[in-house]
Amino acid sequence: MEFILENILNLIGFIVGLTIGILSYIGFKNTGSPTLFRLGIAFLSISVGFFVVWAGYMAEDFVLQKGHIEKWVQTLGIGIQTIGYFFIAFSHSIKSFFPKSRYLRSVGMLPLFLVSAVHIEHILRSVSFILLAYGAIETILSYFEGKKKGTIFVALGLSFLAFGEFLGWYSFVFPESILYYVSISIKIAGLISLFIPISKIPLTKIKFDSEF
Amino acid sequence: MSKINAEARMVTTYRPHMKIIGDILSTTRDDLHSDGGASVTYLIRKANVSHTRISKILSNLVSQGLLEQVNSEGTFRYKISSNGREFLVAYQTFSRFAENFGLVI
Repeated sequence: MEFILENILNLIGFIVGLTIGILSYIGFKNTGSPTLFRLGIAFLSISVGFFVVWAGYMAEDFVLQKGHIEKWVQTLGIGIQTIGYFFIAFSHSIKSFFPKSRYLRSVGMLPLFLVSAVHIEHILRSVSFILLAYGAIETILSYFEGKKKGTIFVALGLSFLAFGEFLGWYSFVFPESILYYVSISIKIAGLISLFIPISKIPLTKIKFDSEF
Repeated sequence: MSKINAEARMVTTYRPHMKIIGDILSTTRDDLHSDGGASVTYLIRKANVSHTRISKILSNLVSQGLLEQVNSEGTFRYKISSNGREFLVAYQTFSRFAENFGLVI
């Protein structure tokens, strides 16, 4: 069950990330917009991250057969995804996220030291959660400015991914519980929601650069 | 009071460089009824940009082949080129694409 759900999640993540990443890159090549360049890096990283985890599960199932995925492969995949989530947040000007006062900054750094003994994967998941939550909030705020229906789907997608990441992180506390499966299902829903507005873009009207 | 705030917000809203270029190209494509092209004064009014800034942008757009400069009765007028039309379609499509993520290109 875990194997099937993980494979579905990672394959959907790979395809959705790759599609949005390529579209953003095409947009950057056609318009020269740095925003689209950042978005391209974000989603290509997310795509590669999901692919690495998927390849890890495949290698485990068909070659290594240890009964569990190599920990370093999973950490590497999640790490690459976190870079992608960072670029989504960065596109929304991440500077505004950090508190200006020195005291709050120092307190804000505290959790990093508190969890330093815990496995690096936990840290990456918590960082991903923060970045995704920030991206979701900023996207919701953008919806209130532009009232564009597609923005809701993206905000919902990022919220689901954030919540899924949070539950995935929390499931370390309660291993072997249903939380892990709920987390993966919510993340799949989030990725599908991210893809909905992109599927409606009429790209056939555009004459792409000769490279594409 | 709220009307004043709304107007103030409109004035202070940051408009990226790409948006200004999009506005200039849209004006030269959609707002002109003759083939003579748009004058700088007309573009300044429509795109809401200062003379210094628009001069730089226009020479840049002409050098990149997105606008055509026509000398009409001693003054320069600007027409959108076929490359400019293609760029504008791409700009508008990817602008909508980015808006889905709550971003402005």
